[in-house]
Amino acid sequence: MPRRLYQWLDERIKLQPIKIKLLDEPIPGGASWIYVYGSVTLFLFVLQVISGMFLAIYYNASPDHAYDSILYIEQEVPFGSFIRGLHHWGASLMMVAIGLHMLQVFLYGAYKRPREVMWIVGVVLFLLTLGFGFSGYLLPWDQRAYWATQVGINIVGTLPLVGDLLVRIIRGGQQLGALTLSRFYALHTLFLPWAVVLLIAVHLFILRRVGPAGPWDPQKAQRIRESFYPKQVFMDAVAILLTFAALFILAAWSRVPLADRANPSDVSFMPLPEWYFLFYYQLLKYFHGPWEIIGTLVLPLLFYALLFLLPFLDHTPRRDLLSRRGVLICGGLFLVMVFGLMGVSLKQSASLSVTDPAVEQGRRLYVELGCSGCHQIHGEGNAVGPDLSYVGDTREADWLIRHFKDPQAVVPGSIMPGYKLIDQELKSLTAYMLSLKHSARR
Amino acid sequence: MRTQHSQTNKNHRFIDELTRRGFIGRTIGLIAALIGTALTLPLAVYTIIPALRRRSEDWVDILNPDQLRPKEPMSVEMVTSVRDGWLKSASVKSVWVVRKNDHDVVVYSPLCTHLGCGYRWEAERQAFFCPCHASVFDIDGRVLAGPAPRPLDTLPFKIESSRLWIIYKEFKAGTPKKIEL
Repeated sequence: MPRRLYQWLDERIKLQPIKIKLLDEPIPGGASWIYVYGSVTLFLFVLQVISGMFLAIYYNASPDHAYDSILYIEQEVPFGSFIRGLHHWGASLMMVAIGLHMLQVFLYGAYKRPREVMWIVGVVLFLLTLGFGFSGYLLPWDQRAYWATQVGINIVGTLPLVGDLLVRIIRGGQQLGALTLSRFYALHTLFLPWAVVLLIAVHLFILRRVGPAGPWDPQKAQRIRESFYPKQVFMDAVAILLTFAALFILAAWSRVPLADRANPSDVSFMPLPEWYFLFYYQLLKYFHGPWEIIGTLVLPLLFYALLFLLPFLDHTPRRDLLSRRGVLICGGLFLVMVFGLMGVSLKQSASLSVTDPAVEQGRRLYVELGCSGCHQIHGEGNAVGPDLSYVGDTREADWLIRHFKDPQAVVPGSIMPGYKLIDQELKSLTAYMLSLKHSARR
Repeated sequence: MRTQHSQTNKNHRFIDELTRRGFIGRTIGLIAALIGTALTLPLAVYTIIPALRRRSEDWVDILNPDQLRPKEPMSVEMVTSVRDGWLKSASVKSVWVVRKNDHDVVVYSPLCTHLGCGYRWEAERQAFFCPCHASVFDIDGRVLAGPAPRPLDTLPFKIESSRLWIIYKEFKAGTPKKIEL
C-alpha cells in the first residue's frame, strides 16, 4: 500500500529525483555511529516542537494563570505530566545531543575549510537553543522560574553602559511580571522556533553543498565511499530510537520539578538554573565587585569569539588529531573547566537541597515574621539581637522552643517579643535554627 | 562462459543488495512507526479527553433552611465558583427555594423551561409567572398555563450541619425532557 501510494504520487509529482538526491548523498569513509548526533539533535528538536505545541493547548502565559494552567496539565489532563516530561527532559537531552555533535565536529576538525559557514550557523543554532532553555524556564511561573530568571536578567544588568537598557528590553518593563512572561512566551514559541527552523535548513543546505567531512585520514575517505542510505540512515534511526526510549522512560517515571507559585515577596527562595547553565552560575560566584564584569562580560565574549572564530584560528588544512594538539588541549581544558564547575555547583546544591521541608518552612517563617529586623544571618539583617549565623552550634531544640514561646522566661530581660506559633511552626523554625551550623556551610 | 559467470555474480550481489536494503528499509520504517504510535496515542488522549469532560460543580452553601416559611418561595442569590479548566471564577447566580412542609424543601433553577427567562413569584396568585411568554407554574413547579414544555427544573440539594447546600445547574430550554447542559 505505501509503495503503491508512493508510485501514484511519483507519477504525478516526480518524487524519485528528490528521493535519490536525499538518500544517495555519498559519505566519505562510509557510515559511522559517530555521525548520528546531528540527526538525533534534529529529531529531538522536532519532538520539542510537537510536545511544545501540545503543551500550548492548555498553557496560559499570564502571571494570574500560568501556574494554574501548569497544575491543570500536571494533575487533570490525562498524560499531561507525561507530555510536560517529554518537553522538559527532551530539552535536556537536546543539550546533550548538541554537546556530543559539537564535540564530534571539534575532534574531527570538521569545521575547517570549506565548512566554516556550516560551523558558524551551527554555533548560532547552539546559542538559540540556550535561548530556548532560558526563556522556557520562566513559563511555569513557579518560584524556581521567577527567581532564576530574576538572577539571569540581572546578570545582563551588570554590563557597562547598555546593561540597564538591555534589562528593560528583556523584561519588557520595570519589573519581572506580566510583560516579561508574555514576551518570553512569544520568544519561546514563535521567534526562536522559526529562527531555528530557518537556520537548520541553512545548516543542512550547506551540508549538501559541501558534503560531510568524513574521517581525517584522506586516504580512508577516498577508499570507502558509501551512500547515506541505507547504512547511515539505519544507524541514525537506531540512535534516534534509543534516544526516544530514554526520553520516554524519563517522561513517564521522573517527575518534572514544580515549585510553589511564584511569589515576588518571598526572597528566601534559592534559585538554581537548569543543569546546562550551572557551570556559568558557579563561575559567577568567583567574581565580586569590580571583577564581576569579568564573569558577566569578558569571559562570555571571549567564549563566543573563540567559538565563532574556531575555524579561522585552527585553519591549517590537516584534520588529524596529532597535528592539532594545541587546539585539542585548549578544548579539553575548556571541557574540564565546564564539568569541574558543574561538579562543584552540583555538590554545593546537593548540600543545600538535602534540607528537609521543615527547614524550608522555617526559613520562610523567619522571613514572614520579620526576624531579620533584629537578627543577622551571614550578614543579612539588623544586628539588634544576637547573630544567628551559627546558632545551631550552640543551642538545643528544647531551649529554642521554650525560648520562642516565652523569651523572657529563658533569657530574663530579653527584648525579643514572644510569638504565638502553632506546634508545627515552632518545629519548623527550630529546625531552621538548628540547620545554621559551621558544618553546614561548605 | 566467464562473462556469464561474472554476470550471475553481479546478479547475486544485486539481489543481496536489494534484500539487505529491503530489510534495513523495513527496520527503519518499523522504528518510525514505533515512535509515531508511542507519541500519537498519549497526544490524542491528552487533547481529546479533557474536552469531553463534564464541568465539575461544587456544593454551595446558600442558607439556613429555618429561614424559609412554608408556601413562601424565596429567591436566594449565591456565589458559585465555576471551574473552567484551569480558570476558577466566581459568578453570582440565584435560585428559588421553597419549603413544602416541615421536612421537605425543593430548589428550582431560576430559568423558565420555555426559553430561559427569569420568572417571579406572585404571592396573590400563589404561582410562578414568567413575564416573557406568560407561562405559569404552581408552587410544586407544575405548568398551569402558557407555552412551557415541562415543569420547573429542580436542582440537587442537601441539608448538612443545618445549612442548605445546592449544586447549581442549567438545563436546555424548550424541550419536554430535562436535559442538563
